[in-house]
Amino acid sequence: MILRRKKVVIISYILIIAVLTGCFNAKELDELGISLAMGIDHEDGKILITAEVVDPAFSSEASNTGEGSSVRYVQGIGNTILEALKDITLKFDRGIYSAHNKVLIFGEEIAKQGLVSHMDELIRDREQRESSYMLIAKGAKAYEVMGINSGIETIPANYILGLIKNVESNPKTVDFSIMDYLKHYYHEGHHPVAGVIEKIQKNEINETGEKSGTKGYELTVIGSALFKKDKLIGYLNGNDTKALNYLLDNVKGGIITFPATSVLEEVQSQESEQILNSVNVIKVKTKNDVELEGDKVILKSKVYVRAALGELLENTDISKEGNLKRIEDDCSKTVELNIKAAVQKVQKEFGIDIFGFGIVFHRKYPKQWKKIKDYWDEIFADAEYQIEVNTHIIRTGLINRPLEK
Amino acid sequence: MNSRNVKITGDKLYYSQALLLIISYRLLLALTYTPALVTTPADQDVWIMLLLSIPYAILISLPILYLGNKFNQYDFFEYTEMIAGKIIGKILAVLYSFAFLSFFIFFSSVFIEILNTALYNQTPTIVNTVILLATCSYVVSKGIMNLARLGEIVIPFIIIVFLLLAVLGIGDYDFTVFLPILKESTFKDLNIGAIDISFRYIDVLVLAMLIPYLEDKKDVNKIFIKSLVCSTIFSILAVVVIQATLGIEYSKRITFSYYTYTRLIKIGETQGFDLLYVASWIMGNIIKLSGYFYFATTAMANVTKKRNQFFIIPVAVISVAVIVFLKDYRPVIAARDPFKSIFRIISIIFIIIIPLIILIIYFFRRKTLNKTGGAKRK
Repeated sequence: MILRRKKVVIISYILIIAVLTGCFNAKELDELGISLAMGIDHEDGKILITAEVVDPAFSSEASNTGEGSSVRYVQGIGNTILEALKDITLKFDRGIYSAHNKVLIFGEEIAKQGLVSHMDELIRDREQRESSYMLIAKGAKAYEVMGINSGIETIPANYILGLIKNVESNPKTVDFSIMDYLKHYYHEGHHPVAGVIEKIQKNEINETGEKSGTKGYELTVIGSALFKKDKLIGYLNGNDTKALNYLLDNVKGGIITFPATSVLEEVQSQESEQILNSVNVIKVKTKNDVELEGDKVILKSKVYVRAALGELLENTDISKEGNLKRIEDDCSKTVELNIKAAVQKVQKEFGIDIFGFGIVFHRKYPKQWKKIKDYWDEIFADAEYQIEVNTHIIRTGLINRPLEK
Repeated sequence: MNSRNVKITGDKLYYSQALLLIISYRLLLALTYTPALVTTPADQDVWIMLLLSIPYAILISLPILYLGNKFNQYDFFEYTEMIAGKIIGKILAVLYSFAFLSFFIFFSSVFIEILNTALYNQTPTIVNTVILLATCSYVVSKGIMNLARLGEIVIPFIIIVFLLLAVLGIGDYDFTVFLPILKESTFKDLNIGAIDISFRYIDVLVLAMLIPYLEDKKDVNKIFIKSLVCSTIFSILAVVVIQATLGIEYSKRITFSYYTYTRLIKIGETQGFDLLYVASWIMGNIIKLSGYFYFATTAMANVTKKRNQFFIIPVAVISVAVIVFLKDYRPVIAARDPFKSIFRIISIIFIIIIPLIILIIYFFRRKTLNKTGGAKRK
């Protein structure tokens, strides 16, 4: 009797499981338009969405022959992002599935008008992931930079993703997600920054290696976009972005190229060319501080660089401790000058704190912060900036004496 | 199964089972919508406010705890009947069944809301609700001992997943968001928040109902203190990971902040750790909701002198109707008012006011009660 009851229960369970699995929320793969990158623009007073959708029919054979495209671009227009997304459904036979969106590109125009209100749908909707990278199309509409692929990846979104991830080896760009942007947006005393993407002409080289004129385009993510609250107000170039990454403690690698200043004096009399050395950055640790001396605000940074010798163009024997120390000092000096120049540029040209010194001030002087928080940007713009950089070269490579005789 | 059945069968609730059950109630609150994030002072000092809520929670729970210790052979309804008389006792049992039912319906609505919003947004509310209620009804029909045994397996799993997720997200933490400490919020703000939070410690009612089932009745205070401290630590950990990852301001704007936190966990290119959270969260909620459901039906059983199983189906049917109506009328968590106010009033009445009145009556009648042996500890 018990055995029979158990059998009935087991059969019932199997039947229930068979009926219930994926009943309402089943989304069949062949009904989805999987979007990997999305562009958001403002055009003629409306929102224009461009989605890069994977074409499942694109085969690996087609990829090898270079025929066809692995993605399709679909556009929708509306008064809001949601309306624009729904507009796509009237032109494209599959529903846009944005859970796999890796990159969100905002056109320059929409970024200048303010981004946060347009992000509402992206965050409210469970499909879109907050960890998607965010880029601003420099001097262009988002759809103008989409579809360009000069990389190895067959999918353009993966090509862009690869460029962003290269921040690990070159900090002249930033790899901020929507989440990072919003976090900085809500911080008092810290304006948000986003990555940029720009279409540039490239030199096409034929098979023999000769340049065949400037044809075609490639993308670059060099630099960063600066926001006052959520409105785009300008861009930083690659070197200034590198300095920004140093101050945000967001450096994961890269190189530092610096002139050999101490030997420069001797050489300068004979040669006008600078002698440059390079180190590979292993680790960077930055501590920002703010000092209040009377009414005067002093911004301070201490940067610790741990590096490996990458390229030594000066004829120096680094097996001698003194020489290595001097190279470290040269490196520190260059980092110091570059960061100082970037901070002063931001102070003078933009007058907004993108480095987070306001957060440090808030932490250190909470009482005073309440009084000055509304004027922090003006205080930041006029503040004195001091920096101290310490470089430690911990690896010297496979040679310790110059190759030059 | 009520306390009388337990006495007959000799089936007892172990210390660890009761402790895990009570811990899970508050842990799941933190994992669902983390109310502490938006409770005064709602800034970087929230974790201090949570620590401060411990003494308030003890203070608020004192009347129930005292009575529970005195009448440790009886459940809450049995001893209120002994102290306040049969009629008042019955009225209170009806009121408490209403309270447990309110908790059950409120938390079920929250459960359905997160399912509808974040996971199964195309599934009709009624389908999710019926599946939930069918599961809870089955668990409740098997009695509190089976619920406790299930909890013994599921709750450690939830805690392990919770700790694992806290470790996995470590790369995204920014602890500087917690600075400056105690500069933004006043002592008054922290205390207001701590009192507000301690009113949410409704699980002392569950403990009061579990006392007669305990193997060793002397464990009551130990279970209460340990569960309070552990659940507060877990709540603090939940708040810390959310705020350190999402920032103070942004985390306040998210309805299901812990879920968002789990969505952000990324190791290399691997994402989707939210699945772990969802799996453990669903299992935990089944236990939590079944507990409220069980005690609501037990209260009804106490009034009518019938077995609590008798009420399971009717209560489940009514609950489905109410939950579907609530959920399809207004979001419960996203639109916090008026549910927050109603919930607070229910907590104040049933955790403080009624037990305090019963306690006062007990002090007036204790000589008579002691003569009849009602409160004698065995």
